[in-house]
Amino acid sequence: MSDDQRALSDDQRALSDDLRADGVTAGYGGDPVIREVTVRAEPGTVVSVVGPNGSGKSTLLKAMTGVLRVTAGRVFVGDREVTNLPPEEMARAGVGYVPQTDDVFAPLTVRENLEMGGYLLHHREIPHRVEYVLTVFPRLAGMLRRPAGRLSGGERKMLAMGRVLMLRPAVFLLDEPTANLAPAVASVLLGEHVRHLAEAGAAVLIVEQRARAVLAISDRTYVMGGGELRMEGTPAELSASLDFVASFLGGRPG
Amino acid sequence: MSLLLASVGFGLITAAVLAIAAVGFTLQFAVTDVLNLAFAAVMTAGAFTAYLVNQAGYSVWVGLAAAMVACAALSAGLNYLVYAPFQRRGSAPITLVIVSLGMALIVEFGIASVAGGIDVSYQMSQGRTVTIGGMLLSTVQLIIIAISVVVMAAVHALLRYTKLGKAMRATAANRMLARGCGIRASQVIALTWALTGALGGLAGTVFAIDVGSFNASSTDIFLILILAAVFLGGPGNAYGAMLGALVIGLATEVSAAYIEPDYKYVVAFVALLAMLAVRPTGLLGARA
Amino acid sequence: MYYLIILLVYAAVDAIACLGLSQQFGVAGVTNFGFIIFQAAGAYVAAVLALPPDTADGGFQTYIGGLSLPFPLPWIGAAVAGGVLALPFTFLVGRRLRGDFAAVGLLVTAVLLNLLVMNYRPLFNGDAGLALVPTPLRQTMFVTTSNAYQYGYAAAGLVLAAAVYVFVRRITESPYGRTLRAMRDNDKVADSLGKNLVALRTGALVTGGAIAGLSGAVLVSFIGVWSPAEWSYAETIVLFTAVIIGGAGNHAGAVLGAVLVPVGFEEVTRFISNNNPNLPPNLLPSLQWVAIGLLITVFLWLRPQGLLPERRRMIRAPARSPAAQAPPEPPAEPAVESAPAPAARAPVPAPVTEPILRTSGVSKAFGGVHAVAGVTIAVGRGTLTGLIGPNGAGKSTLLSLLAGTAKASAGQVIYQGQDVTAVPAYRRARAGLVRTFQLASEFKRLTVLENLLSAVPSHRGDTFAGAVAGRRYWRGAEDLAIGRATELIERFGLARHANDYAGDLSGGQRRLVEIMRALMTEPSMLLLDEPMAGVHPELARRIGAALVGLCQDGMTILMVEHELSIMDEFCEPVIVMADGAVLAEGTMAELRDRTEVVEAYLVG
Repeated sequence: MSDDQRALSDDQRALSDDLRADGVTAGYGGDPVIREVTVRAEPGTVVSVVGPNGSGKSTLLKAMTGVLRVTAGRVFVGDREVTNLPPEEMARAGVGYVPQTDDVFAPLTVRENLEMGGYLLHHREIPHRVEYVLTVFPRLAGMLRRPAGRLSGGERKMLAMGRVLMLRPAVFLLDEPTANLAPAVASVLLGEHVRHLAEAGAAVLIVEQRARAVLAISDRTYVMGGGELRMEGTPAELSASLDFVASFLGGRPG
Repeated sequence: MSLLLASVGFGLITAAVLAIAAVGFTLQFAVTDVLNLAFAAVMTAGAFTAYLVNQAGYSVWVGLAAAMVACAALSAGLNYLVYAPFQRRGSAPITLVIVSLGMALIVEFGIASVAGGIDVSYQMSQGRTVTIGGMLLSTVQLIIIAISVVVMAAVHALLRYTKLGKAMRATAANRMLARGCGIRASQVIALTWALTGALGGLAGTVFAIDVGSFNASSTDIFLILILAAVFLGGPGNAYGAMLGALVIGLATEVSAAYIEPDYKYVVAFVALLAMLAVRPTGLLGARA
Repeated sequence: MYYLIILLVYAAVDAIACLGLSQQFGVAGVTNFGFIIFQAAGAYVAAVLALPPDTADGGFQTYIGGLSLPFPLPWIGAAVAGGVLALPFTFLVGRRLRGDFAAVGLLVTAVLLNLLVMNYRPLFNGDAGLALVPTPLRQTMFVTTSNAYQYGYAAAGLVLAAAVYVFVRRITESPYGRTLRAMRDNDKVADSLGKNLVALRTGALVTGGAIAGLSGAVLVSFIGVWSPAEWSYAETIVLFTAVIIGGAGNHAGAVLGAVLVPVGFEEVTRFISNNNPNLPPNLLPSLQWVAIGLLITVFLWLRPQGLLPERRRMIRAPARSPAAQAPPEPPAEPAVESAPAPAARAPVPAPVTEPILRTSGVSKAFGGVHAVAGVTIAVGRGTLTGLIGPNGAGKSTLLSLLAGTAKASAGQVIYQGQDVTAVPAYRRARAGLVRTFQLASEFKRLTVLENLLSAVPSHRGDTFAGAVAGRRYWRGAEDLAIGRATELIERFGLARHANDYAGDLSGGQRRLVEIMRALMTEPSMLLLDEPMAGVHPELARRIGAALVGLCQDGMTILMVEHELSIMDEFCEPVIVMADGAVLAEGTMAELRDRTEVVEAYLVG
């Protein structure tokens, strides 16, 4: 067994936490933007949250990662409650969050970005982890010394995901990773890289605008609208549903 | 020709002292977004700490170490008690600047009230004079330049090779993301204040060694030189501060050789204003 | 008794200076750390204008001028000098500098000028300064050392302070003053409303400078000496402390601060040192500075608004026909009893006329990426047209191209039959093509009414000259504007909050304020960027109905929105964009049936 594979199976035990948001209500201070949302992602699966703009998808992610305050409901990683933990504690609890914008340290090089991702690791582990991340994202190997601000959109997103991957978190939260990416790049990102994260054992929750594309790689999908959960199901079930289409185009479901 | 060389020599010393101060100032701004106008007052506190230690019979170099420790504590205290609470409250940057002016007054005149108005100086020997490349410098001046070079190298090493230094740069670039990596930003910030405070104490002591005799208000003009160096190189950029210090240090002293010496600072001020007007991000761009 | 006179004169001088600073800093938001230089300049000019040529008096001083002018010319000259000195500083406030950077620049300039003055003998007599400055009216009948003269001087100073108070209040309470406060609150938005930031800030610097110069004249003519050391940049901090403690933005507060801080401090210090002659000479002045530092920090922490905070301007609406005609106001909180929304149908498409706005192959590229690629649309007059599409479709970019806030890489924008592709945003706004923004852009510390009034273009009272001319000059225009604003506020149902600070309203209500403010410019065509974002559905319906009403009255509106149910109810036609191009156009019902539209939304 190679070092990487050994590392993988060692971590397999740690990566058996699922992600649960139970009845989460959150907002930006005034009225709540999302109300009583319950989602769940099991280890090794890709769960997507889709919906039209303003449906609260990004708000849900921000609430789950400690960026926004949860006013009701709770969030769990495995047995551990992580509701309203500050971001630095979330990282320690095994939550890896890739925000939609400002997702890399622009003045730092690619390698330094990855090293920051591995901040919580023992320093001896870092080179191994970097190597591992580079096997997942080989494109990055050629640009280790380049400042992150000078990467293309797709490369940046890979770096952002790679940075989070350094900690091998049990849970990945991705906020519209394909926004502003060309369709070809987006499909590679989703089809290969995001799927790989789940295959390595993590629970992946991905919020996306490109419903069709993300449905193709999801094990289960939630549909949000107006701050609430409207529907859930497997991609097959949803694609066949008229309500699914309607909820995207503003008609009232049912 | 020798006038030019002599002024270049002076310029190098000024640049050496300025570099230490400017790097400290700019790192404070980079990591915490505060333009700390009390920095020069902290330098004065360092100079006087060294003075007290020197008066107690120890070498001024021991005093220098003491100054670094004292100013690290002072600086960290300023952040903990004053700047951080205002920032937690969401105060505008201009409010923080006004508060830092208030702190400058408290520190500078707190020292003045105790020290009185007379000038003091260290008891130390200047060492032999050495001729280097046509310039006449004393041993002490060489030591100052050497200290400065060492400090620059140390800062570079810190920022590029140590975990803390990279955490500082990460926090400066994107605080939320840094926290998402598990970095405890408030700790990094506190450490930054302590480290840069130590730099301030160091800068203040070598400044006092260089000027010979000083009082509580001696660093007032120096603050302007620091601002000039920082903004010239790019606010928040440590390497910019080093470059800015070199330029400003040399420019002020060399210009003193050719124009009325009383106006030598004019060059620095004009450079600063020109920079603000034309390219506020500085020569090397902000925040590395 | 001489002591009381000194007190009164200093009070007058400091009050005048603080009023100038209050105007600059409190009202216009310009942080001028070099303020003291203007006072120094005014004092210097007053001195040399009054002094005889420098060869007189034994020739121990060197300075320019020496015109020996009679009172009040030196004082007038001082004010002029202070104002003129402000002009070179404008390069610092013209550029988009962060507030703290600009403040630092002004501080540096002050120190620089101080340094120059201290060292340059021929112009200013170096650090020795000037002495034997003649007191005013010395050649007339008054014996200048008499008690009557001294009291007269003090009285004159106080009268002058009162006059300055009236003057700055006149400016602040005018529409021009409102614009200054708007700029202080949110300069980017003020800019987008067509306010000339550079001119406004220069005006603030010049006014403050002139007033500071005047205060310098009053001081120097009394004490008879001008010493550069008295005008170090630290003195500016004293004045700032005074204004902050008194209440920035409140001129009575500035006067109060002047009495408490510079004057109060002097007296307390004098009192203490008189009773304790054995203290080391440096101690008290140093402790004074420590106290100033403490005061300013403590006040900024505990009571940043000062002892006399800026007052809210309550504007009474002019009496008009019954308010019962106004529709019931929308709820601020969700779920009030469902009052039926006025079921306004989308307006019947206007008869075929020239579209008010159209584009021809317009594109916008960022680097190599086309955010908008070859878009050709036409917006009919009197329609409420919707613009929808998934994220990244280019809707906001297209709106920016139409409004002029972004420049087209190719193609044309034609408004009212004219090619406006190269015309900048503020000129399009003046021609009636106005846009709103996605992000919050109300002026938080202005009331709702003031927010609306700030948008009135070409208001008589919105210039410096107009402000100085006084209420009678601009009252008529203001009343008209208030009338229109009140009408709008009632139409949109916010009458109850007309005099509340805009920053205190809920998110939805603030969006309303923004729309109403855009309407105050009397646009012919309104470009709305996600006006319903974050708005409660009930309120969104009312906004929609009000917008339809406006279109029926002749306005044209192009609205970007994500809330597709709104499009359903109010907009016709609706244009769909995806990937920078127009995909389709029609009613929402028609569009839902088209597969490419559905796919665009699902593919994203």
